[in-house]
Amino acid sequence: MTPRPGLVLEVDGSTPPTLFWHGERFVLEKLPEGSRVVYAPEPLVPLEDPVGAIRHALLHPLGDRDPLPAMLRPGMRLTVCFDDVSLPLPPMQAPDVRQLVMEQVLDMAAEAGVDDVVLVAALALHRRMTEAELRHALGDRIYEAFAPNGLLTQHDAEDPDNLVHLGTTDKGEDVEINKRAATSDLIVYVNINLVAMDGGHKSVATGLASYRSLRHHHNPKTMVHSRSFMDAPSSELHSSNWRMGRLIADSGVKVFQIETTLNTDTFPRQFGFLQRREWEWSVRDRAMYAAAAAALDRTPPRVARQVFHSIRAPHALVSVQAGEVEAVHAVTTANIWKQQGVEVDGQTDILTMGLPYISPYNVNSIMNPILVACLGLGYFFNLYRGQPLVRRGGVVILHHPTSWEFHPGHHPSYIDFFEEVLSDTTDPVEISKTYEESFATDPWYVHLYRTGHAYHGVHPFYMWYWCAHALDHLGRVIVVGGDPAAVRRMGFSPATRLADALEMASDVVGRSPSLTHLHTPPLLMADVR
Amino acid sequence: MKHARFPFRAPTWPAGLPRPAPERRVGLEYDHEWSRRYPVRLARAIVLDNVTRPAARLIAPATVRGAEHLRHVASPVIFAANHASHLDTPLLLTTLPVRFRHRTVVAAAADHFFDRRWKAAMWSFGVAAIPFERARVNRRSADVAAELLGSGWNLVIFPEGGRSPDGWAQPFRPASAAYLARRTGRPVVPVHVNGTRHVLPKGGERRLPRRSPVSVVFGTPLTPDEGEDVRRFAGRIETAVAVLADEVASDWWDARRRAARGGTPSLRGPETTGWRRSWALDPRPKAGPDPWPSI
Amino acid sequence: MRSLVFERNLPRFAASRIASTLGSGRGAAVGPLRLLDTEPPELPGPGWVRVSPLLSGICGSDLATLDGRSSRYFEHVVSFPFVPGHEVVGVLETGARVVIEPVLGCAARGIDPPCPACARGQLGNCERLAFGHLRPGLQTGYCADTGGGWSHAGLVAHESQLHAVPGTFLDEDAVVVEPVACATHAVCNAGLQGGETVAVVGAGTLGLAVVAAVSALSVAGHVGAPGALFVGARYPHQRRLAGELGASAALAPDQLGRAVRRKTGSLSMADPRPGRPGGPLTGGADVVFDCVGSADSIDQSLAVVRPRGRVVLVGMPGRIHVDLAPLWHREVRLLGAYAYGTERLASGATARTFDLAFEVVAAHGLGRLVSATYPIERFEEAVQHAGAAGRRGSVKVAFDLRHNEARHHGDLRHNEARHHGDLRHNEARHHGDGRDGDARHLARSTTSGRDGRSSTGGTS
Repeated sequence: MTPRPGLVLEVDGSTPPTLFWHGERFVLEKLPEGSRVVYAPEPLVPLEDPVGAIRHALLHPLGDRDPLPAMLRPGMRLTVCFDDVSLPLPPMQAPDVRQLVMEQVLDMAAEAGVDDVVLVAALALHRRMTEAELRHALGDRIYEAFAPNGLLTQHDAEDPDNLVHLGTTDKGEDVEINKRAATSDLIVYVNINLVAMDGGHKSVATGLASYRSLRHHHNPKTMVHSRSFMDAPSSELHSSNWRMGRLIADSGVKVFQIETTLNTDTFPRQFGFLQRREWEWSVRDRAMYAAAAAALDRTPPRVARQVFHSIRAPHALVSVQAGEVEAVHAVTTANIWKQQGVEVDGQTDILTMGLPYISPYNVNSIMNPILVACLGLGYFFNLYRGQPLVRRGGVVILHHPTSWEFHPGHHPSYIDFFEEVLSDTTDPVEISKTYEESFATDPWYVHLYRTGHAYHGVHPFYMWYWCAHALDHLGRVIVVGGDPAAVRRMGFSPATRLADALEMASDVVGRSPSLTHLHTPPLLMADVR
Repeated sequence: MKHARFPFRAPTWPAGLPRPAPERRVGLEYDHEWSRRYPVRLARAIVLDNVTRPAARLIAPATVRGAEHLRHVASPVIFAANHASHLDTPLLLTTLPVRFRHRTVVAAAADHFFDRRWKAAMWSFGVAAIPFERARVNRRSADVAAELLGSGWNLVIFPEGGRSPDGWAQPFRPASAAYLARRTGRPVVPVHVNGTRHVLPKGGERRLPRRSPVSVVFGTPLTPDEGEDVRRFAGRIETAVAVLADEVASDWWDARRRAARGGTPSLRGPETTGWRRSWALDPRPKAGPDPWPSI
Repeated sequence: MRSLVFERNLPRFAASRIASTLGSGRGAAVGPLRLLDTEPPELPGPGWVRVSPLLSGICGSDLATLDGRSSRYFEHVVSFPFVPGHEVVGVLETGARVVIEPVLGCAARGIDPPCPACARGQLGNCERLAFGHLRPGLQTGYCADTGGGWSHAGLVAHESQLHAVPGTFLDEDAVVVEPVACATHAVCNAGLQGGETVAVVGAGTLGLAVVAAVSALSVAGHVGAPGALFVGARYPHQRRLAGELGASAALAPDQLGRAVRRKTGSLSMADPRPGRPGGPLTGGADVVFDCVGSADSIDQSLAVVRPRGRVVLVGMPGRIHVDLAPLWHREVRLLGAYAYGTERLASGATARTFDLAFEVVAAHGLGRLVSATYPIERFEEAVQHAGAAGRRGSVKVAFDLRHNEARHHGDLRHNEARHHGDLRHNEARHHGDGRDGDARHLARSTTSGRDGRSSTGGTS
């Protein structure tokens, strides 16, 4: 059966309640009649022979590039970069796509007799990956061949000895990237393009960049003008990255881009109801829902978190393309739209979303309030093309426990950001002016970022800037079920139940507002007409 | 106890008298004769068959091939194996045919296994280890090994002199199996152990073993030719083990044909350095189905 | 006349020690403190006067004594039976309102020539606390001969102990002068240089008084103005008050270390795993005022102070278990800060601590720290309230001895107008707090205030 496209359902009297994620739980909510629910398209049929498809892509590159084997020769410097632990979500079942692609790349390099190969995790300012995470992403074979010899490295944006400044763009943006990569004869970049934002020139220009370079596009001004950052042509974030990427190409750095797209098969079969439309739930689905909901009600949050973070998604490869960056990315973007695009007619007054337990920045970690805001107002709000799903001055209602809880090892600067910065102001522009510099240069954060598994000191600021477009656009943000203290700290309003939240929203959008629910995950992109 | 006085506690040594160095009873000097007395052998046999063997099966399910080569060999013999992991010794001992298993001693590095009395005792009891000098012929340790071979004990020895640092074998040293075979006239059985580095590699952060299938292959016994020097004989043993490795990687017939052509891949890996050397190693075998339901 | 008397009674000591494990102040009902009819104490000699208390505060050290947690060190500088209460505002027979400086030094004990400390004006360090013509007692309120503040029978005070209360002061302002003087003394002895990072651990009366003293004295130029003043406080009302009194940030205790780390740009040795306590900082605050005096608070102080920094113990510690390795390794100076005397100011001038304390109280209107007052007949409730002050949204709990006595009308009359204006103000502020407990006690205190006024009005 061919997978069905996405669907916008109008809730009527016989529509069953709608599933909302609520952190490490989920609930069924009865939406008012006349509300719309946006469902993602069903997962596309995976490639039958992923390894064969990868080899084919490497041998038949797009754009102005030779087949990979032709670009490999003995004595060359080859750097293979790959996306970090933030992709895909949830982490996919072994073997990871990065492993499949890189094994082919390395086999070709071995055949060609390339001795000088270094692997670089393109972390940007993300936390370093642990051994287990690297082994999961790359497979034991790659890990064991490279890690013991120090050839498996993680990009360090604070290592002055391993950064090189390539110049400034015509808009005055510094381009400073990983020196090993910049001085290689060839960079092979292995992408997982989970959402439309990923990949393209952003891979190298962001993934391998330093703070000095990143601050030119990771700031409130750029983010407010990225509408949305999921739609590259209308995204200031991407324009900046493209300028940088072209400068990188012009300065002689040769990139062989490999981009892969996955289908949205997000949850294992036992949890199939999480990605099925409620009126199609089988007896088994309903039993699983009831059992899971009952069990989670009785599970301490910490245990529930561990259970959820051990979920491995059955994502499967649906396309792989390789070659020159821009040519590859055009095809990739089209493929992502094919999987995730849903047409939606017109904006809404109230947009509701249930936020799951995971965001790109808390894989195997704790989803702290800032990440809740970022997932809701940064990622989900921006899953649109054309115009936002919610009208200007409208209301977004998030469904998430938003507990005042942080992972001190992964998110040390988030704690101080939340306690020190947000207690002062929540205005992204003000925050960036007053506080960004001191967090970015705090030696303790730098130390933890470089030697531990901590996000960079400035990273919580980026999370907040990610929300800048939404904060600018919305009239009010309400969090259902959130810890009131934490929710208020961010300038949002806490509500106990969805009904209360709708009542509160009516202060802003009137007594008979239109309501749309974003039924995600699985991920979707709304094409709002 | 704090206040116990002299007759009730050990005397302190007068400061004015020099304290002699302690008698060194570890390393090559360790007296391991006790470990071959009958009650100890009996206890070891019980532990080996009832504890070590099931434990080894659990973490490293082994495929054993070539045991038929041992059927007509007269004991005692010298087993010469490649060495990648601490697991090799218990694995080898527990896969030997019963005829050999309980009458075999293991030559173990004196500096590593016999540096403390408790460690020495543990290894002597557990696998009937005897201290052996890694790199060169040491009169004492060679005498002991030869004497044991003479009195009917089989010997397991790793001619590389230590575990492989990178997964590929090191050169087989003449001062071990080849020398002893020459001296005692006993045959050498080449043994190839494969996959143990995936279970418990040398070095690294991991201290706990990780379950992975392994294989043990016994070859036909070798004896030094007339006038063959020890160095040449050591090379011949290494080649014999390499052929067994080739047999595991492909099949017996192909391996024989390559051996006949002299085309057996070396145990020591490709000539290149760096990542390509590691890359050429065989990957970890596919894990079986996960014993836990995935949720 | 009714007084609260603390007697030497071992079974009752033991009972209060056990009862106080349920919570500070819980031992009052079974402890050695009893409400008795007593005669006013005799005047010990010339230069002594009678003082009738108006308000008398319940101090942390009083609570420790009642709970039986006090250090045995004090055994030899206390004489039984005594009437507690050393935070006292009262009236003299002349009608003048005074605050007592309770330390019983050489002057009060008739020792001449005075000991070296008293000769220098460092009253708190007096070396003759158990000698002279008085029985032992480090302060009024711990001495069998002087009486104490928790009494309608009044107390006797040497004229060197009296400080006239300005007419603009409410009784509530005056009663906190003594604890504020302790805080002032601590602040003046911390050697504050300008621009330093200062942390205050704990925000009970003493903690808040330290915050007020640091900001008032630095504004007046008496001590260096800190670059940042962080307060670690457990309860929200304490954080709100600390912010009002001039803290640059008032934080939950677990946030204090992080804020200091951020400000001073130091590193931390915290365990990066979730659920682990924060570790010590590599650098830290220049000065830490420990206003609790418990093992935990001293541990925290040592964790946030920089190497060679100063930790000032303002709260009274007892026999506690503290790891001093960081003190040794970081060469931290641990300073005690007891009572008051004479301070040397940044300008080089000297001033009596109490005079500075009056300034601090006036600058910040610290009478608002008095959250509740009780008649002494309800001492069990009062002591329990004081023991749980933080949890119940309060700061200072005091005994109100005004309503029973009609002796000092003349004095109260000129306060009347002020009472009218200020109490209303006071009320509004307390209601803003929105706490039931507070409102109840406030109601009581305002009622008693009005009673006082109406009786005054009747006689005039």
